[in-house]
Amino acid sequence: MTGAYASTAAQEFLQRAILPKIMILDKTVAVVSNEALGNGNFLLTFAEPEMAAEMVPGQFFMIGMPGSGILLRRPFSVCGLPGTFENDSSGILQVLYKVMGQGTGVLAGLGDGAPLTVLGPLGNGFTLPQPGVTPVFVAGGIGSAPFPALTKACSTPPVMLYGARSAGDLPLLDWFRSHCGETLVATEDGSVGEKGLVTAPLLRWMEGRDPATYALIACGPDPMLRAIRNIAVPAGIRCQLSLEAHMACGFGVCIGCVVPTHGEDGEVDYTRICVDGPVLPAEKLAW
Amino acid sequence: MVTPDMTTTVAGIEFKNPVLTASGTFGYGLEFTDFLDLDRLGGLVTKGLSAAPRKGNPPARVVETPAGMLNAIGLQNIGVPSFLADKLPKLREYDTKVIANVFGATEAAYVEACRMLDGAEGLAGIELNVSCPNTEEGGMIFGVDPAALGHVTRLCRKETKLPLIVKLSPNVTDIRLMARCARDAGADALSLVNTFVGMAIDVERRRPVLANVCGGLSGPAIRPLAVWLTWQVRQAVEIPIIGIGGIMSARDVVEFLLAGASAVQVGTASFVTPSASADIVTELSNWLSERNIASVRELIGGLEVPPRG
Ligand SMILES: Cc1cc2nc3c(=O)[nH]c(=O)nc-3n(C[C@H](O)[C@H](O)[C@H](O)COP(=O)(O)OP(=O)(O)OC[C@H]3O[C@@H](n4cnc5c(N)ncnc54)[C@H](O)[C@@H]3O)c2cc1C
Ligand SMILES: Cc1cc2nc3c(=O)[nH]c(=O)nc-3n(C[C@H](O)[C@H](O)[C@H](O)COP(=O)(O)O)c2cc1C
Ligand code: FES
Repeated sequence: MTGAYASTAAQEFLQRAILPKIMILDKTVAVVSNEALGNGNFLLTFAEPEMAAEMVPGQFFMIGMPGSGILLRRPFSVCGLPGTFENDSSGILQVLYKVMGQGTGVLAGLGDGAPLTVLGPLGNGFTLPQPGVTPVFVAGGIGSAPFPALTKACSTPPVMLYGARSAGDLPLLDWFRSHCGETLVATEDGSVGEKGLVTAPLLRWMEGRDPATYALIACGPDPMLRAIRNIAVPAGIRCQLSLEAHMACGFGVCIGCVVPTHGEDGEVDYTRICVDGPVLPAEKLAW
Repeated sequence: MVTPDMTTTVAGIEFKNPVLTASGTFGYGLEFTDFLDLDRLGGLVTKGLSAAPRKGNPPARVVETPAGMLNAIGLQNIGVPSFLADKLPKLREYDTKVIANVFGATEAAYVEACRMLDGAEGLAGIELNVSCPNTEEGGMIFGVDPAALGHVTRLCRKETKLPLIVKLSPNVTDIRLMARCARDAGADALSLVNTFVGMAIDVERRRPVLANVCGGLSGPAIRPLAVWLTWQVRQAVEIPIIGIGGIMSARDVVEFLLAGASAVQVGTASFVTPSASADIVTELSNWLSERNIASVRELIGGLEVPPRG
């Protein structure tokens, strides 16, 4: 353990881990809408009231496309819970996704009414920062997907640090600008916000601030998460990371979705992020 | 419509129906209680167990390929002692046959695992995994070398009174030879197949997708290969066969039964649809009723090959 804050984060994590286990549901739903947001980013909407009632920000679904020829389901974070984007939307759930390959390519072609198989809620969600502690989100591109639902769940308005390659890779930027306390943008080509990586505005924001007053929550590509971990852990800043890994099942049985973590025996353990994540305290990662 | 008799016997184990779940695709069974009633299954086979726990391979460990998937888990498992202490007591509460899948790096390790499991209350049998392609110590050598296969099977046979099922590797030149070696060494039944060794390449990065470079191919892609191997082994040995490979529906089960299997295992399908194994039981029962087939056993080895000409 690295300092008092890190161990607080670990304690919060443990407390949450002993909450009663919620049943995983496997449902067939219909696409309500599948809206193109530009540059291969889409906002998928479907309705599943039972799942929506149980799900918390940071958890994910395994989504299958029956009859598409794609065998395994694909993991996607919950982006919108009832009330995230609209107020009177009982049972409505949203997924923000980017076309990366075959599975997401097929998903992008689905029209309204197309069937999806949805498994959820899966994994552990984020630990909400205590009231008065400022949530500081760090998102890399499509890594912003879990943050709309989380924004709505936080009692203190979050700071959103949003980085990407280019202007088109910042889906829902306007939504974040109008719902977060502060939104700072960095693009590698300088097309919006400052030119460079998102860690630059993050370091500036942190300068002179007491680490007891804020908590980092990051989601994005692995190199970005590593950089955030390397900033947060030595400084004793509370930091949760939402991780990705190739998955076959999504509910703990294939043991495919592992990340290296620090084991109790001092050696590297392989932790399944579908059941013990996808959100992990940064200090657990043995990258 | 008749209610068909679904029972089948393999290696002296009486299964309420021929649908079992395949090792490594059904965890320790208990993970599935949200999705299905374990009592519905003929049986379940545990994740591969070794005498001591194992941590497995680095990621990435799985990837989808055409009509299938590659995996290189590296036999990560909780070890036999934890299985006996934490999982088996809970599994005993269910009315289904529990089979422990076992592997070792050495003959001694296989023997030790079998000895630890022998006599465990609630265990119906042992399946020897001599065919994992994903670790140097996964027992693959025992699966591809007839003499080594015979030797390890004989040693395990001596260690346990439980029914012994030997799970064959498809990664051999002649599977009939391996089947005869296992039978001669005392196997009560054979299960086949394990995964086929394969590889996927990320062409942009010019790297293997899996950290282990190669992995085991499973899913519908392998079904015709597995059906053919089942049919070949059926003609080589008389001991019962459990057919495995790409089963997604009752129709697929029937294919293996006709080729000579007395039971089957459902693998990758449980990742796609967690309730798949139990769904297939219902579907199979309906399939038989619709055709007025009184017993599932009528299908076993029922393939009719028309004369050529
Ligand atoms: C917990 C979790 C939450 C996620 N949430 C989102 C989200 O909200 N929005 C979003 O756009 N993406 C999300 N992803 C990533 C998304 O699952 C992948 O982009 C998607 O699986 C790619 O599938 P494909 O068939 O299009 O790509 P291909 O490259 O064709 O896929 C080939 C194989 O690799 C796997 N794969 C490739 N890249 C990834 C990856 N980054 N993560 C996991 N598996 C991968 C696929 O599942 C498939 O088995 C999440 C991943 C995880 C693990
Ligand atoms: C992720 C994964 C893990 C597996 N682990 C094991 C194992 O531990 N022991 C074993 O004998 N077979 C293991 N197998 C092989 C399966 O039991 C089965 O033989 C194979 O997947 C073919 O069946 P399927 O096409 O229905 O999946 C594994 C397969 C997969 C996909
Ligand atoms: S995805 Fe199968 S164990 Fe996590």
